[in-house]
Amino acid sequence: MDLAYTPEQQVFRAEVRAWMEAHVPKEPLVTLECREGFDQHVEWERTLASGNWGMVTWPEAYGGRGLDLIQWLIFEEEYFRAGGPNRANQNGIFLLGPTIMEFGSDEQKARFLPPMARGETIWAQAWSEPGAGSDMAAIQSKAVRDGDHYVLTGQKTWSSRAAFADWGFGIFRTDPESKRHKGLTFILFDLDSPGITRRPIRQLHGETGFAELFFDEVRVPVENSLAGEGEGWNVAMATAGFERGLMLRSPGRFQATAKRLVDLYRAHAHEASPAAREAVVQAWGAAQAYAYNTYSVAAKIMAGGKIGAEASLNKIFWSELDRSMHRTAMQLLGAEAELKRSAGGAINPWLEGYIFSLSGPIYAGSNEVQRNITAERLLGLPRVGAG
Amino acid sequence: MDFRFSEDQLTLTETVRDYLAGTHGPEVLRRLDTEGARDPAIWTGLVEMGLTGLLIPEEQGGLGFGLVDAALIAVECGRACVAEPLVDTAFVAVPWLISRGVTEDLPAILAGEKQVALPHAINPWIADGEGEALESVDPLRRLALGSGGEDDLLLDLGALMSAAQLVGIADAMLAQATDYAKLRTQFGQPIGAFQAIKHQLATCAVANEFAKPVLWRAAASQGEGLASAPVHVSHAKVAATDAAMLAAETAIQVHGAMGYTYEVDLHFWMKRAWALAGAWGSRAFHMRRIDEAVLGGTLPIGPDHTFD
Repeated sequence: MDLAYTPEQQVFRAEVRAWMEAHVPKEPLVTLECREGFDQHVEWERTLASGNWGMVTWPEAYGGRGLDLIQWLIFEEEYFRAGGPNRANQNGIFLLGPTIMEFGSDEQKARFLPPMARGETIWAQAWSEPGAGSDMAAIQSKAVRDGDHYVLTGQKTWSSRAAFADWGFGIFRTDPESKRHKGLTFILFDLDSPGITRRPIRQLHGETGFAELFFDEVRVPVENSLAGEGEGWNVAMATAGFERGLMLRSPGRFQATAKRLVDLYRAHAHEASPAAREAVVQAWGAAQAYAYNTYSVAAKIMAGGKIGAEASLNKIFWSELDRSMHRTAMQLLGAEAELKRSAGGAINPWLEGYIFSLSGPIYAGSNEVQRNITAERLLGLPRVGAG
Repeated sequence: MDFRFSEDQLTLTETVRDYLAGTHGPEVLRRLDTEGARDPAIWTGLVEMGLTGLLIPEEQGGLGFGLVDAALIAVECGRACVAEPLVDTAFVAVPWLISRGVTEDLPAILAGEKQVALPHAINPWIADGEGEALESVDPLRRLALGSGGEDDLLLDLGALMSAAQLVGIADAMLAQATDYAKLRTQFGQPIGAFQAIKHQLATCAVANEFAKPVLWRAAASQGEGLASAPVHVSHAKVAATDAAMLAAETAIQVHGAMGYTYEVDLHFWMKRAWALAGAWGSRAFHMRRIDEAVLGGTLPIGPDHTFD
């Protein structure tokens, strides 16, 4: 166990810090859930790409830097230290990019990865359907083979980024006789294809960043499917696999929130209860615990290990931490908590963050599903209905 | 930067875990509870494994290991609910004596002839020591009233090793509750198939999983003599206490009425958790130390200060 950074890692940190200090926007961007904010965030993706900081863990051949996971953690720490914006490109970086690298043909890699890395193509995910949320294997949207095309019909929902993104990916039922996890195929589609209707969904905060997608005989070339017909479930599970478990939410994000919470507490210390004070101290502790755990998992993966169901523990931990930190902030803010912008016009980041934090225990597999996975796969408890 | 254990550390831990699983099961705890809380054979076994000399330098006949290794073994002592004063003697007193240059007792400690538990103002009870006897809720702890000063290093070592034992105890209680939930059937299925049970146990698994890296970080910091080590030790004590208390309360609930009996082995671990939760500084004491560092501004915080 060696908890000191090497000189090379320190040099790398200094390099990231210098770049971030020079480039991170001084004023927070408008939320990425509206047109104006989305465009600002895409512009930021292109700025990142101009410094080759867009996809740092990707191999250089695809427009990345080929960084190892410790370097990635350092990058993320500096990113959040500098107050870097949320990533419009997140679906590409952590979900689709690694999936194409693992399952895509050379032609697909060459076609899709470089524009993703340059921030030119922003991707939306299309997993859930009205009848397939936590129970994703209940997917009904169809892809019917017609010559060298698939014809997509059906409906996807809660599709994040889909109101404004360029392309989408999801799984569709290619075998009409199939049930559950079988007969599904992973398909990439241009969101401007004829037959796709995007219906933006207005979210809790009032913005319309995600959407329902209606597919009415949408023709997609067969070469836009990944890993072959019927392999969709396996590809989707790999997409949700070990790196996503580690990389979806890096610890720097929560350590930065905890630090802001400490500053907020100091501003309200004269009126705050001891309970609020303790909640602030615990926020620091939990964010640090999450960081230590991530470093530990990163070291294991770098030594050839994998994480499987342990990713569920991570997801439960960070999502509930994020919610509790923002709840504490809202309690400290008192009358200011309800203001979307302060009297001076500044965005209230705690309100925005609190609302967003409420989605954390729901998206990427609800925490109830994560607790089932933990109980069944890590603790070995019987599956529901099993005797 | 490499937040992993060495192969040697993993092998040593596994060896001790297997040894204790084979020789120090619940039937031993029940026997000790009935026949008297100590059995010299248990102590001899621990001495023969070299554990009393774990932190004694090699040139003095010990194994010359560090605090991370000791914390790993203390976790196993918690997991097996060992009541012999191995942790107090070998992982708290020994490193303190060495740091203070008091080495004349080391040969006797190494040989298992001397057990040393040092009192502290915050923790005046001495395990298996001389003095007025005190009765613990834990039937296997033998306490004597001592009188100690306010040595900070001693406090940190005691708190760190209590945290380590609490982590092992939390794991053990979660395992017992999980095993019980697989066996006990009601409404035609194991109670562990009900989500109401699963989710409670999963929540314990989260708490245990995230207490461990805090413990390892604290042990490494203390071993390296980092100036911020006391904060990290306090963090570990709070995280381990919270995980153990949650596991205890969840485990008794999962056991139902059986959990409230003296017949189920769970109570040995639960009572050890209660005892260690208050030992070497209460949760409130350690929260205050973290508070003073984090809100007081003596510890740099934020994403770029993960290991400061």
